[in-house]
Amino acid sequence: MRSGGYTLKLEKRLRISGWEAALIPILAILFALALFSSVFILAGINPLMAYQQIFAYAFANPNGLPLTIYRFIFLLLCTCAFIIPFRAGLWNIGMTGQLYAGALGAFAIPLAFGAKESSVSHLAPEILIPLMLIAAAVGGGAMGAIAGFLKGKLDVNEIVVTMMLNSIGFWLVSFMIKEGGPLMSPGGEGQGFKLPPSLYAPQIVNVPFTILFALGIAALLYWMFAKSSIGYQIRAHGSSPAAARYAGISTVKIPLLVFIMGGAVAGLAGYHYFATVPGLYRISSDYGYFGDLAFYGIICGLISLGDALAAIPVALLFGGLSVGGRYIQGKLHMGFGVDYALLGVLMITLVAFQFFYRYKIVWVKTEEEKFDVRVHRQVP
Amino acid sequence: MSEFIARCLEAAMIFTFAGLGELISQRSGVLNVGVEGVMLFGATLGFIVAKTTGNYLFGFLAGIAIGGLLGLLHGFFSITLGADQVVVGMGVWILGFGLTTYIGSPYTGPLGMARIPTIFGLSPFLYVGIALVVVAWFMLSKTSLGLRIRSVGENPSVAEVSGIDVAKTRYLCVTIGGMLGGLAGAIYSLFYNPVWNYNFIMGWGFIALALVFFSMWNPLILLGGSLLFGTMWQLSLNPQLVLPGVLSRYIWRMVPFAITIGVLLIISTKWFRSRWGAAKPEALARPYAKE
Repeated sequence: MRSGGYTLKLEKRLRISGWEAALIPILAILFALALFSSVFILAGINPLMAYQQIFAYAFANPNGLPLTIYRFIFLLLCTCAFIIPFRAGLWNIGMTGQLYAGALGAFAIPLAFGAKESSVSHLAPEILIPLMLIAAAVGGGAMGAIAGFLKGKLDVNEIVVTMMLNSIGFWLVSFMIKEGGPLMSPGGEGQGFKLPPSLYAPQIVNVPFTILFALGIAALLYWMFAKSSIGYQIRAHGSSPAAARYAGISTVKIPLLVFIMGGAVAGLAGYHYFATVPGLYRISSDYGYFGDLAFYGIICGLISLGDALAAIPVALLFGGLSVGGRYIQGKLHMGFGVDYALLGVLMITLVAFQFFYRYKIVWVKTEEEKFDVRVHRQVP
Repeated sequence: MSEFIARCLEAAMIFTFAGLGELISQRSGVLNVGVEGVMLFGATLGFIVAKTTGNYLFGFLAGIAIGGLLGLLHGFFSITLGADQVVVGMGVWILGFGLTTYIGSPYTGPLGMARIPTIFGLSPFLYVGIALVVVAWFMLSKTSLGLRIRSVGENPSVAEVSGIDVAKTRYLCVTIGGMLGGLAGAIYSLFYNPVWNYNFIMGWGFIALALVFFSMWNPLILLGGSLLFGTMWQLSLNPQLVLPGVLSRYIWRMVPFAITIGVLLIISTKWFRSRWGAAKPEALARPYAKE
């Protein structure tokens, strides 16, 4: 494109500055929201009004705000679960299966202590709640370990494996909570048993205590990747497994380690959603919906460029967007899945914007180029 | 029993079409991990068009068309823009998962059209599928077009020097790949299981991807693998045929996914790996930029 003495040119970036790297995802989000307006327009809804309602409900409504926070905790944990393997150059799309395993692990504890039969039991929450947390992390970590072990030891494609484990986890939960499964509610068919009130998670000003875990893990990961030796080894594996091997870093251990860590964090997300959100306190029959929400973790992780601290605002924004999207879907009589449609549009926009990490658009003065040529000719 | 075999073949053909598309695309050096998303789009749009027009043909054409468009989109990002192909594939998958959930939701439920007639009691797609596999095998291994595709997938710079347009060849392959993926999805939603529900492909696209790795990029082996998986899928739905009353039906539903992991394990054995390394398109998933 030419205008006057200038030409629009794509130029390869040699390096990218910090603020440019931060600006690109923000522009991508804005672009995606603009693009998503077409969905509202096609549904005959004014997009500005729709976005105003989404944000008002998600961040300023006494009913909406708690939902946003519950979802924020969930998404932040899922994002961290994605980020850890991602920094090692590996794709964990198995947060879904890992959080199912975590939820099953968590609920196995009260089951073992007989909470299913008697809802008025004398269970000590100060022992059982930590045990549930540990069991959730172990369950998720074990699920993750399968993919990590196969990747590290045998170089099996982790994308396909984690996706298969999602489906396996899905049916495993069905087995556990339906048709007389061990975790089935004694009263109702097709859903898990309800936690006894003594095991309801403690709340900090109406926010489940898991928020401390989510924020703490994000901070810990930031520190780990910035300062610690293991964080360095993971990053080295991410930039080149072959080079990492020459540097004496085990290409068997690192994939296993990152998938166990990621899986354990995803397992906590499973505990968080099914055992701490007020009004639920059970593995619900629509658990598949929450499982699929974990895919938001992929986008949050990509947008925050694998930076766990940057993931905090991103997870909060997307938590709000998905809660608000779900709300206006009911209020404005739109079809099911507005929140998922937004997820899809965000993802593909983000992919398109990846281009700008490597290229920038610049205006080049055409005269200068001619001048350059003359200079070169004079050199010899 | 004959009905069971017919169902197995129907399921197998979905893997065959999706896998064949992915195979052609990979042979030219482009990895599309988003087959699942392409299938979801083909299935959903095919379903909607067939339901609203009452015409199967339009439904299949819509599925093929949207698949081709997604193939082009994948091509634009990964060939023209040179983006990381795994990232692009993930994008296509999540776009498909997200948008079809919303677009298809008003159409949730059965298709409500007369079933597509069978030919000699078997799925008409069986004949088309086998013919396509043979054509693809012949095209890839015996024709100059096939040589062009393979050389672009093995060593694009050498291919470019010998006068082959790398970008054009790759675009052709990803578009064909997308069309076949879309068609596979449409066969699922219009013939195999004509009921729309959100995210109903449930991992078939990823299984097809695993089958392509397993096939060592040979269409004939892919067909064999598809037949095996189609049978296994049907067995997992009807476990009473093998072991009546053993284990919950939910446990059986896990089996095909577990076996997919098992297949990937077989590929990783030493015996397999040495052959696999030789067969693998050398430039797979590597962006190519003309110097």
